[in-house]
Amino acid sequence: MDRRDFLKQVMLWSAGITTAIPSFQIVPELLAMEKPSTVVHTKGKDYYALVARVLEPLGTISKFVKTGDQVVIKPNMAWDRNPAQAANTHPQVVKALVELSLDAGANKIMVFDRTCNEERRCYVNSGIQDALKTVKNKRLKIYHPDTRKFVPVDIKQGKAVRRLEIYKDALEADTYINVPVAKHHSLSRLTLGLKNSMGVLGGNRGQMHHNLGQKLADLATVVRPKLTVIDATRILLRNGPQGGDTDDVKVLDTIVASADPVACDAYATTLFDLQPEEIDSTVAAYKLGLGEMDLARMQIIQAA
Amino acid sequence: MKKKGVALRLWRRLSQVFCFILFLFLFIKTDYSGANDLPYAVNILFRIDPFLAASASLATKTLVTLMWPSLIFIGLTFFLGRFFCGWICPMGALLDSTHGLIPHVHEGYKTRHESLKYYLLGFLLIAAFFGLPAAGYFDPFSILVRGLAIAIYPALNVLATSFFTFTYQQMPAWINMVTEPLYGFLKATILPFRQNHYELAFISLFLLLTIFILERLERRFFCRNICPVGAFYAIVARFSLMRGKGGTKCGKCRNCMSVCRMGAIDEERTISPLDCNLCMDCVDMCPGNKISFSLQQKDVARPAFRLSRRTFVSSLAAGAALPFFLDTRTMAKRPDPFLVRPPGALPESEFLSRCVRCGECMKVCIGNGLQPTFLSAGLEGIFSPRLQARSGYCEFNCTLCGQVCPTGALTELTLKQKHITKIGNVFFDKNRCLPYAKGIPCIVCEEHCPTPDKAILFREAQVLNSKGDTVLVKQPYLIDERCIGCGICEAKCPLPGKSAVRLTSGGEKRNPQNALPTQTLLY
Repeated sequence: MDRRDFLKQVMLWSAGITTAIPSFQIVPELLAMEKPSTVVHTKGKDYYALVARVLEPLGTISKFVKTGDQVVIKPNMAWDRNPAQAANTHPQVVKALVELSLDAGANKIMVFDRTCNEERRCYVNSGIQDALKTVKNKRLKIYHPDTRKFVPVDIKQGKAVRRLEIYKDALEADTYINVPVAKHHSLSRLTLGLKNSMGVLGGNRGQMHHNLGQKLADLATVVRPKLTVIDATRILLRNGPQGGDTDDVKVLDTIVASADPVACDAYATTLFDLQPEEIDSTVAAYKLGLGEMDLARMQIIQAA
Repeated sequence: MKKKGVALRLWRRLSQVFCFILFLFLFIKTDYSGANDLPYAVNILFRIDPFLAASASLATKTLVTLMWPSLIFIGLTFFLGRFFCGWICPMGALLDSTHGLIPHVHEGYKTRHESLKYYLLGFLLIAAFFGLPAAGYFDPFSILVRGLAIAIYPALNVLATSFFTFTYQQMPAWINMVTEPLYGFLKATILPFRQNHYELAFISLFLLLTIFILERLERRFFCRNICPVGAFYAIVARFSLMRGKGGTKCGKCRNCMSVCRMGAIDEERTISPLDCNLCMDCVDMCPGNKISFSLQQKDVARPAFRLSRRTFVSSLAAGAALPFFLDTRTMAKRPDPFLVRPPGALPESEFLSRCVRCGECMKVCIGNGLQPTFLSAGLEGIFSPRLQARSGYCEFNCTLCGQVCPTGALTELTLKQKHITKIGNVFFDKNRCLPYAKGIPCIVCEEHCPTPDKAILFREAQVLNSKGDTVLVKQPYLIDERCIGCGICEAKCPLPGKSAVRLTSGGEKRNPQNALPTQTLLY
């Protein structure tokens, strides 16, 4: 839904011709879109420092994490691959977000992913577990999902899925921060923020693949990150999503961040010389009113 | 050497408890530990087993060097007799500790079938030599570890999970304040990382339970009558230097005879080193303190085995003859195509000869992909490991199974070798595979394919879906040369029931007869 639709509906409603109240369930998003979505990107070799820099124009971490918050930081650590192979989020990016959130006064920070390869191997080989071990803070918890804690959630706005099993902690968190790695994916072309949310799903996730773009958008109606930080420090160009060959990896030293999950994905798509319209999940999420995909209507800032 | 028995018996118990705890510790540590290399020699129990060492060496007609630690125990037995059975053996410790819980028929001192274990040992070793490997079905450690790994340990986890799921879902918060940390603690210590599922769980359990049920007939029935390791040690112990000396001029109390758990003391109160496991109970129980253990006196005779020559020869003959029936079966002509062996497995007959069915590889397999074979490798192949990809796949960067194999039936591969060791090949069933059969997009298999240059690729194709619409879908296909047979595609295929992509042993490296068709012949 775009501005024109919105204005039309408002006019129709105010004219008393329609009582299409359901349309108003998405009014908050539309109102939010009144202010253009801001996407920040920045470049640098020090991936740890890059995170604070990219958040600066968005109002720093304190805009997203308040004192006493329960925070979920959801990296992509789905594969038994090392950081150089670019299949998982870079450990320094995750660590920086964790430490910034701690400084912002988060009460509890939870880091987890439902992996594709063996859980422990992924946590270790991604380098994330070891990087977070150096953050010696009791408020930080890195753990493996507990099968008892996936709860069935009705996807009311869903077009392709009606119900999904979603990890409890992701639903209950005050702040959900999505930290995907940008990489090639053979079915969806790219995996970015929306695809990374699959890591909070229980059940048979393979079935998401049948009409993946729409199902990811449906998932995005309930798993709503306050902040998306896309790690494009090195991107996998081929043989995604797990790669394995460093020849397929391109080093970009870039991080992209936005409060708008769709806009963030849309901008990151351009790093692969692709257009946002080519990514099904971006288009489907945009159509559900979950965010902006038109680059021209975003405020794109290059942080210092 | 004469000492008051209480202290000795206490030492023996202490040793049993210590060895058993060590055994359990190593059992639990037979798992991924945060690095691909295992920090402990978790398979040590099998490597000190002289019976398995002899069987594997005879079967392969080479010295299985991995099992050199068994020589230490043979040497020690020359000095001490069957001390292993009384002081070290975890199965013996379990039997001793549960003996009181199992109601027994009578506390007779006579051993019913003491010769049976020698016939069995003879049969098993000869059969192994001629190509029928059956040691693992009688070896106490194989039975024990298999029973634990395949049945009891997973069951323990089911129990814990269902209990803590109940408390988590039904109990008030203040109870969860206690139970949740407890569950976390148990998970971090003794419980397995994940719930594993195994074939033949019940059979493994029953085999193990049988040993305990036999306790009803006689104390340490298995050790006295069946155990081939015990028989092996008994043969060595015949020449042992340490001997128990019974009372010669004592009364009629027969305390020593009735207290002997091995039936090693006869009417004349001579203690047979063939059976005595040096538990030291008799030393403690003798009212006259007439029993002592010391280095061999000159007048101590070497006891006879009391075997029937005819039965012994028959069992050897059976062991020599039976192997020749193996090749009469159809599987000798064409092996089961779904029998995929773990990476590093030797060629099939050598693999089966070495494999002692200990279950270590299945315990350590982090994908829960290794399963005990039932009949597809023949009767003699029961409990040997196979990769059953629908239950779990072989993790690309993992080489744990080769590290725990005590006999080298699975050779230890480096990660580099593992990455190019082809154990099988997958085939697509286009009648089931969604993009082919239904025009539904999927390619989960391609997503998970772990080789850096993916073995599973896809082509875009226009197909009619079930509504009659023409749709563009990505259809997977395989590059045989890249596929190493890890089976992750079969494991992750989102279809219910049978996967649309199936792993077979086709193209496996260890068997040239399974070579896949190519347009250019390599040899």
